Amino acid sequence: MAGKPVRPVNAIDQTRRMLSLVTYLRERPGARVEDVARAFGITEDELVSDLDVLPMCGTSFRGGDLLDIDTDGERIWWHNPAALAAEAAEPLRLAADEATALLVAARAVATLPGLRESDRQALLRATAKVETAAGEAAGASSRLSVTFESEGGVFADVDRAIAERRRLWIRYYSPARDEVTEREIDPIRLVSVGHTYVEAWCRRSEARRTFRLDRVAEIKILDEPSAPPEIELRDLSEALVQPAAEDPEVVVEVGPGGRWVAEYYPHDSADELPDGGLRITLRTPEPASLRRLALRLGRDGRIVSPPELADSARQAAREALAAYDGIEAVEAVGGADAAGAGGPRVVHAVADGPDGRRE
Amino acid sequence: MAIAKAERLMNLALCLLGTRRPLSKRELRDSIEAYVEAFGPGNGPGGNDDSFNRMFERDKDDLRELGLVIETVESLDGEVGYLARRDSNRLPPITLDAEEAAALGLAAKVWQQARLAGAASGALQKLRAAGLPEDVDPYGAHGALEPRIPVHEAAFEPLMLACRDRRPVVFDYRKATAARPEQRHVEPWALECWRGHWYLAGWDRDRGAERVFRLSRITGKVRSRGGRYTAPVPDVVTVRETVASWAGEITDRSARIRLRSAAGYPLRAKATSVRELGDGWDELEIPYGHGLDAWLVEFGPDVVVLEPAELRADVVDRLRAVAKG
Repeated sequence: MAGKPVRPVNAIDQTRRMLSLVTYLRERPGARVEDVARAFGITEDELVSDLDVLPMCGTSFRGGDLLDIDTDGERIWWHNPAALAAEAAEPLRLAADEATALLVAARAVATLPGLRESDRQALLRATAKVETAAGEAAGASSRLSVTFESEGGVFADVDRAIAERRRLWIRYYSPARDEVTEREIDPIRLVSVGHTYVEAWCRRSEARRTFRLDRVAEIKILDEPSAPPEIELRDLSEALVQPAAEDPEVVVEVGPGGRWVAEYYPHDSADELPDGGLRITLRTPEPASLRRLALRLGRDGRIVSPPELADSARQAAREALAAYDGIEAVEAVGGADAAGAGGPRVVHAVADGPDGRRE
Repeated sequence: MAIAKAERLMNLALCLLGTRRPLSKRELRDSIEAYVEAFGPGNGPGGNDDSFNRMFERDKDDLRELGLVIETVESLDGEVGYLARRDSNRLPPITLDAEEAAALGLAAKVWQQARLAGAASGALQKLRAAGLPEDVDPYGAHGALEPRIPVHEAAFEPLMLACRDRRPVVFDYRKATAARPEQRHVEPWALECWRGHWYLAGWDRDRGAERVFRLSRITGKVRSRGGRYTAPVPDVVTVRETVASWAGEITDRSARIRLRSAAGYPLRAKATSVRELGDGWDELEIPYGHGLDAWLVEFGPDVVVLEPAELRADVVDRLRAVAKG
């Protein structure tokens, strides 16, 4: 399964795990290494490194015994379970951070609009039980919250198509070109990183593509079976789409009011300018998509290169202005809402990168 | 070294959990191999050299982070002892069925932030030790869903701890349109992730008002400040509403525009009415909130604003700036 869980190696996590391990192993003589590793969500190597430490541990005060735990690589044996009094091996209460991490994540997953109802009910029941068991430790979990965004109906259809291995037909909005196109896709998996995406094999472009669910204008489950080629799933934890080295380079200079560009666009560099602005160098497979950015920036920034791109933005603005001349003479109004530019709206409207390289 | 530390912490935990009477610092020092090895036996007068004391205090703090409740008890002759009582450290009985277990298994995997990922796995491991059912593949039960909570902001962890412990903080913050960061003194209330970005809500001491901060705009380190909160913490903190209003999603007016046929799908999706004009153009009624002018300009010659005049002027103003380029 792709999307490797983050697993830091540190003494705190290892101690936490070993405390649970002794409780777990005490109840299960001869437990299999493979099963224990799976139950604890760790690799067999990690488990074996814990088993190397445990024999050095014990209630050694006043001649208490060390834990005589060993493994033949397949099973784990604890030869002196009495070394740990039964009550010293009871399951431990949850720490505040543990309760927070689990409860916040569970509540977030429960907000996924397309989650199957039976799964949501199970999650809500589990959340309530964990809250009760955590007691006071659950209190701080209200100080952290996460909302996933996804289009409920679209999500449910994609989820069903994946489960039933069927092809999908979608009408999909591409902000870079401001157009809606039809395509057939073989869905592979759903990924939620802020927004929810479906990773799929696109039959039209014969390539892997990532589609943002809130840009799916229409969706149908087809009767044809889905047949994505065997492709290696990537770790999507960093960014859904990384610009490629061969993509054309675009240089944008922004004033202080356009600094948000550096927050929304993955870029190679962002150098400070004397006026408080930035000179941002980025790559995109489709520089024309940045015409929208140039238009949006207005006096807060401009495209420096390539010059054709800068020209096309100017040209678009002139064309647009011509339409207003046609309606009536427009008064120039000073003090327009320039300061209100930028900000989160762009998440919605501009090609913010992570929806796949378009053909 | 990580292994040595885990071994030391484990031994300290087992000693404190296994004892029925408080153990003195000296007894603990003599019992735990790692202490003896590093500092020698504590048989001098009191045996309290500073570096041992510092390590011992840190170790106790680490165990408390793991959820261990360690009591400090002073005996009649003034000696301080430590123990972790069973009844205050035992997980209350909890019974989860296989479906509930699978759901929690999925939830425990969503964090991408090291500290919370570790804590979520730790919680699940404690529940496993308490008998949480296994052998259920969470992915099998949930189809192909892989939710992930992104945390790229360095300010996240210190702010999470500050919210948890209710500690005032100070940080440099660069507003969206400001060139230079400015120092802000904040009493942090809550963190919220919306559309993949993290926001902090809290009391801004400099402004004397509630404020929402975007974590990616915090520059430099988040530092803790001593002392208590000066403003009451509200029962419900509404980060989303504030961010939504920045994003122009809270609107009380509407605008009328002309849009070229087939263009501007997102505008159509938001429109309250669409009327075909028949000349290659449609007329739309759309909610008018903060930032609409900048958004409309993106569509270039495919959009013409009809009303209100104020919006039209803003759009024309922006277009002129680009045309002059």
